[in-house]
Amino acid sequence: MPGSRVLLVDDETIFTKNMSKLLKFRGYEVAAVNSGDAAIRELEQNPVDVIVLDLKMPGMDGIATLKEIIKLGLFAETLILTGHGSIDSALEAMKLGAYDYLTKPCEIDELVAKIEAAWAKKKEAN
Amino acid sequence: MKEPHIAYKGSEVPEIPDMAAERKTTYSRLFWRFVWLTILCSLVPLLLVGWGINLHYSQFARERMLNFFQTQVEYHRRIIELFLSEHTSKLQLIARTHDRDELLETGALQTVFDLFNQDLRTLTDLSLIGEHGYHLAYVGSYDLWSRNYSKEFWFQQVMEKGIYISDMFMGFRKEPHFIIAVTHSTGDKKWILRATINTESFRSLVENVRIGKTGEVYLLNENGVYQTSPRTDAAIMDKSSFPIEPYHEGIRVRMIEGLKNAQGLDRPPQIACKAWLKNPRWLLVVQQDHDEAFADVNHANTWTLVLLHLSAASILVVTVFITRHMITSIKRRDVEADRLNQQLAQAGKLASIGELSAGVAHEINNPLAIILTERQLLLDSANHAPISDPEFKEQFDDSMNQIDIQVQRCKRITQNLLRFSRRTQSLIETVDLNAFIQEVVELMEREARTSGIKFFSEPDPALPPVSSDPSQLQQVFLNLITNAIDAHDGKPYGSIRITTQADLERQMAFVKVADSGSGIKPEHLNRIFDPFFTTKTVGKGTGLGLSICFSIVKRLGGSLTVQSEMGKGTEFTIQLPFTPPKELLDSLAKKQPPKTPA
Repeated sequence: MPGSRVLLVDDETIFTKNMSKLLKFRGYEVAAVNSGDAAIRELEQNPVDVIVLDLKMPGMDGIATLKEIIKLGLFAETLILTGHGSIDSALEAMKLGAYDYLTKPCEIDELVAKIEAAWAKKKEAN
Repeated sequence: MKEPHIAYKGSEVPEIPDMAAERKTTYSRLFWRFVWLTILCSLVPLLLVGWGINLHYSQFARERMLNFFQTQVEYHRRIIELFLSEHTSKLQLIARTHDRDELLETGALQTVFDLFNQDLRTLTDLSLIGEHGYHLAYVGSYDLWSRNYSKEFWFQQVMEKGIYISDMFMGFRKEPHFIIAVTHSTGDKKWILRATINTESFRSLVENVRIGKTGEVYLLNENGVYQTSPRTDAAIMDKSSFPIEPYHEGIRVRMIEGLKNAQGLDRPPQIACKAWLKNPRWLLVVQQDHDEAFADVNHANTWTLVLLHLSAASILVVTVFITRHMITSIKRRDVEADRLNQQLAQAGKLASIGELSAGVAHEINNPLAIILTERQLLLDSANHAPISDPEFKEQFDDSMNQIDIQVQRCKRITQNLLRFSRRTQSLIETVDLNAFIQEVVELMEREARTSGIKFFSEPDPALPPVSSDPSQLQQVFLNLITNAIDAHDGKPYGSIRITTQADLERQMAFVKVADSGSGIKPEHLNRIFDPFFTTKTVGKGTGLGLSICFSIVKRLGGSLTVQSEMGKGTEFTIQLPFTPPKELLDSLAKKQPPKTPA
């Protein structure tokens, strides 16, 4: 639901910049970071409703970031973004507690639908 | 994705020339090593034992033969010595027990003579001779009464020694004979009792002995003159060419060469056994042709050796044959091993390509995602601030659509690459087989067209969608169609017919892929699903394709069968259940992510 706060985590700067614009245009409050460490710091300061997390990143990858988020009690509904080559890792992330996964490249409408579903689930849980 | 294999381009593994030469040398060395080893382990012991037994037997047989000769010599020497000593003793007895005058009485000497010849006629005549060499009395058939013996050699010897046995001599009667003479004295008058031995009777003791065809027994005096007639080529009192050794005790055996016959020709080598008589000094010889004497031994030897060497030769031939057969088997195994190694290398290479493809696909997905976001931003902007120029608006919309189409195209390519690398998750989905097969056909159509091959599809409209793994099914269909295309290698054109059929009763779908290619050899039909079996040339097929297809279809609860006729074509039939087996669903369920986060 537009108005919810979304954190984009992806090492592709242009991707996060573009996606931020698209999501903001659709009414979301968006924070974008380019590494797992930056995501942890952002979550510590500003909790979010939904996290869109890329799996393949230099340094702390998506799985490690998710584990750290859960460990620090910063968990929010998480959508995993992945290329086809790392679907096994995406499934592993879902076993850890991620809500769903999307494969790149994905349409904005598809992403928005997943964000909405994740946000709805969070609200139900609350 | 050219994996499986129907085309027949030979299965020989091309070898690098240096390696081939090295292999040839190795096989040659191996061959000779096996041959020598077998010779060492079987032929050498066989020959050693065979030769050893043969040698031992020869010596044994030779010794037995020589013993026979020695026995003959010993036997005849005793007989002769007994004969001579008996007659000598008798003469001595008569001389000592009778006075000269008694013997001179009428009929007295005749009585003695008759007594001597009572059993065997061993005396020719009997004489009483005075010290001056004249006969005092004589019993016999020769006219010798007026003869004087005082100058004769035997007379002088007997007068000197008292007892004398002469050699054979002609004497006054001019025929071969020998005498035994003893002396005795009556008062101061010395007289001689002389017996002439019946030559025929004496000679029969020696000459009647028969040893084989060439064996003979004879007597020689110290000068080598025959005292009896030899069996061949000479007569009594002839001079023999037999080498005379000085008197010795005991029996000696000699191999004699260079003997001459009566015509002066060389006689074959003789084996001679000889012994000296003490009195007179006659040499008793038992003699036979060496070859005849040892004919049996030599015959046995020859046959033993012939059989032994025939056995050795047959072992050698069998060894060479078996070794050659073994080397051929090793060569064949090596070729198989080479092919397997190259196929493994090829499989490894393909696996590396798969890994690389997966990496490339993943990396391409990121820029594609950015392109899509850029497109979306432009579309959003255009919606926010509509383009007033209708021409530009039309161009803008076309470009946006084209960007989307091309991104989706790229996405399909990366998906295919990922499928090739088999890193896509196995998922059971609803699959419309008719449509699905059509997609695969469209994918392969370009390649088939370049080979002059046309596709014919006969989908069964009654076939309902099935639950199966589309990505794995795609791999199966791609493999089978690729094989079907390859089966037309060498043919200018051909066709591939793909039909589907529903068996609603059994809840089964049938997919048939039939080609008009070269067909599969009957002897290969039961091996085509074996891993690494291929008839394609090295580098073209890994031999894994059909085995993977087989295992995929089996895993999905179906079966894959084949029918083929050489020269006419091949038909693969996939039988697939409408729903996958429970085991597969269970195994997949374990891998599915939880519905809610933990």
